[in-house]
Amino acid sequence: MSRWLLLFLVALLSGCAGMSKVGPGEVTVRDSLSVTPDDAWNQFSIGLTRKSEVWTLDGLPLDRLVFYVGIADGEALADLPQRKDRQVPKYRTTMQAHEIVEMYEVFATHDGSSFQRQKLAPAAFAGGEGFRFEFSRVRKSDELEMRGVGYAAVRGGKLYLLIFEAPRSHYYARHIGRFEALVQSARIRG
Amino acid sequence: MQRRHFITGCACCGLLARASTLLAASQGPLPARLQQPEPGSDEGGLWSLLTREEERLKRSRFLLRDPALNAYVSGLACRLGGEHCPDIRVYLVRSPFFNASMAPNGMLQVWTGLLLRMDNEAQLAAVLGHEIGHYVCRHSLEQLRDAKSRTALGQFLGMALGAAGVGAAGSLAQLALLAGMFAYSREHEREADRIGQELVADAGYPPIEAAKVWQQLVAELKAEAEWSGDAGSRSIFFASHPDPEERSQAMASRAATMNGDTGDAATAAYARQIHGHRRQWFEDELRRRKTGETIALFERLLRQSDDGETRFFLGEAYRLRAADGDGARALGEYAAAESRSACPPEMFRSRGMLQRQAGDTAAASASFRHYLSLRPAAEDAEMIRSYLHEGL
Amino acid sequence: MFPCRRWLWVSFVVFLALPVRAASLAEGFARLPAGAVVLLMPLDIELFSVSAGGVLEPQAEWTEKAHANLRQAFLTRSSVLKVNFMPLPGEVDEVVESLNRLHGAVGQAIILHQSGLFALPTKEGKLDWSLGDEAALMRERSGADYALFAFVRDSYASSERVAMMVVGALLGFGLSGGMQVGYASLVDLSSGRVVWFNRLLRQSGDLREFDKARESCDALLEKFPE
Repeated sequence: MSRWLLLFLVALLSGCAGMSKVGPGEVTVRDSLSVTPDDAWNQFSIGLTRKSEVWTLDGLPLDRLVFYVGIADGEALADLPQRKDRQVPKYRTTMQAHEIVEMYEVFATHDGSSFQRQKLAPAAFAGGEGFRFEFSRVRKSDELEMRGVGYAAVRGGKLYLLIFEAPRSHYYARHIGRFEALVQSARIRG
Repeated sequence: MQRRHFITGCACCGLLARASTLLAASQGPLPARLQQPEPGSDEGGLWSLLTREEERLKRSRFLLRDPALNAYVSGLACRLGGEHCPDIRVYLVRSPFFNASMAPNGMLQVWTGLLLRMDNEAQLAAVLGHEIGHYVCRHSLEQLRDAKSRTALGQFLGMALGAAGVGAAGSLAQLALLAGMFAYSREHEREADRIGQELVADAGYPPIEAAKVWQQLVAELKAEAEWSGDAGSRSIFFASHPDPEERSQAMASRAATMNGDTGDAATAAYARQIHGHRRQWFEDELRRRKTGETIALFERLLRQSDDGETRFFLGEAYRLRAADGDGARALGEYAAAESRSACPPEMFRSRGMLQRQAGDTAAASASFRHYLSLRPAAEDAEMIRSYLHEGL
Repeated sequence: MFPCRRWLWVSFVVFLALPVRAASLAEGFARLPAGAVVLLMPLDIELFSVSAGGVLEPQAEWTEKAHANLRQAFLTRSSVLKVNFMPLPGEVDEVVESLNRLHGAVGQAIILHQSGLFALPTKEGKLDWSLGDEAALMRERSGADYALFAFVRDSYASSERVAMMVVGALLGFGLSGGMQVGYASLVDLSSGRVVWFNRLLRQSGDLREFDKARESCDALLEKFPE
């Protein structure tokens, strides 16, 4: 029985909230990043970690905006509990754009999904220099074709990475504009 | 139509195996063709589940559809399967793990991680032969009988075959789980090993190659254990099979009683067939981040064929591992790649990145320019140009 | 054992709160026009038996029967407004498969996010999801204006299981005795919008015999907008 069905069962019966409204207006993400969306998004509140957040517009099985905030030298983007330490790539301050994307690819494919990085170019991000990349991915669990965009910058030796991904059919085109607008408003605090 | 009663065990396989060592004249190592089971039987229920999964697999985005490669592997399975050839359907699945499996309805999956690891056609034949051995002896159905009173197999079938909402080829975590729960018995494995090796010998390949498949795997596992402490116990394949070292020794001994290492392993033929596909499989392998295994594998492949592509990817493995001294090792491999044929243009990009990191700006610029000259329309051209401007 | 504990309370709670049915309509949609043709998309159905040990064993033969029964129930349903279900013309090819895959994710999103713990505040409880332009391809191919998708996971307790009906064994899979979980989803093929969605979660229902399958069909189509 799939994980989603289990969540379905829980979802029907609980009174508390797993998702919270964020925006419009300035929102602080994991303390050190702020964004100012033009309209409201949904934050996956139960899934918050110390350095990452997930937002969505139409739901987690569909579109996801993932924030990785202030990842320091030697830290991983996320936990991969089934792996030994040396099998999990860590961010290094010496990493160049290509290497940051290569690191991200490991997390994007750890479940067996495929991944193809496409365009990679410098871009303004979070009030300074950064880079932007595009990618496509076939999700292993349901073989849905996904398209995604990432923005990243390194400030004070820490990595700030935003990834938006949605099904290639309908959802990517529907929401990409809002993501790009949100990215323009990103600022690093402190 | 006669209904074979395989549920009661496969004494037939044992007998025929012994018979074949006496070089029985007409029959090879395999029993006669299997009849489709009656619906409503244990086998029948399993059969329709598998048929549905096969339909799903046929539409999978992870299926390799290249006609030439499919014809090659199918042709090989067909030759090995003899009379069973019409019942065997081969599916090549893009997944970077060493795995091949054959379902009781004749559906034979081979994963690209396995194809990457075969040194030659003989080794692939050994793996296919092993799976065909399981198939003709109905081993999974024997397990089903036992597992009805154990709890493992239901979950195995549900998860492996997509009934629980998993994709056609299974998700990693779930497959690891099922492999841990469901294992062919030791006797089944020995039987399949024996049949597989006999098929290999009968087809004119050196039977020692079957043992080498496992030796190679053992070497990779050891390398990974040394590097990361991961002893491979969670690996999909090894959770469901007995110790590869033991199998390798058993097969080496058996090979000595057969023609040993005489025969043609068809190394060149195999290399030709997978040549155009290897690049993607190399990239998938790198993403696994099991660098111990990866480096051991790539070094072995290098001994088979010291070409620019393999050198480049070995360099990539070092670069991505980024342990002490790996930068220098990677640069060494890139240099070797440059002087060999089939060196991918991306080598210059990777070399540039390492040189830039080491503060060797002039060399980095030269490398990046070289990359751009070879790949002017590259999707990352703008990024590379920005590295160049920075360096000034 | 540890991962099981987490879901132990889930099962308890699930057990206590059954049955659940909830149908919703998209804004601006009230009912199907008389004589509407609704394309019946390939049904996503799996039937399991629940062994004494609590393991779900997929039952291929039951599943095939259930497919046939449910499909038949849909196609032979009598409707006052003469709303007819039409079988898929032709094979399940890449076009159909692609739309099915997308709907699979959309269906999951609706189940997860329309109400309850993971309700999306921005949706304000409304049924507001779409398959987009791809739906129009099905309209061209079939001539139908609407399509129905159905998803069912159904488990049947073996007699040993019924005898020892204690929540606590099964978990990793979150169902206790027998349970029928599913949804039916109606899509307007010209706009791609999901115009009607009905969830089903209950302990009864049997898809293995045709008469009973008809009842499940009716449950899935409860408050069908015709």
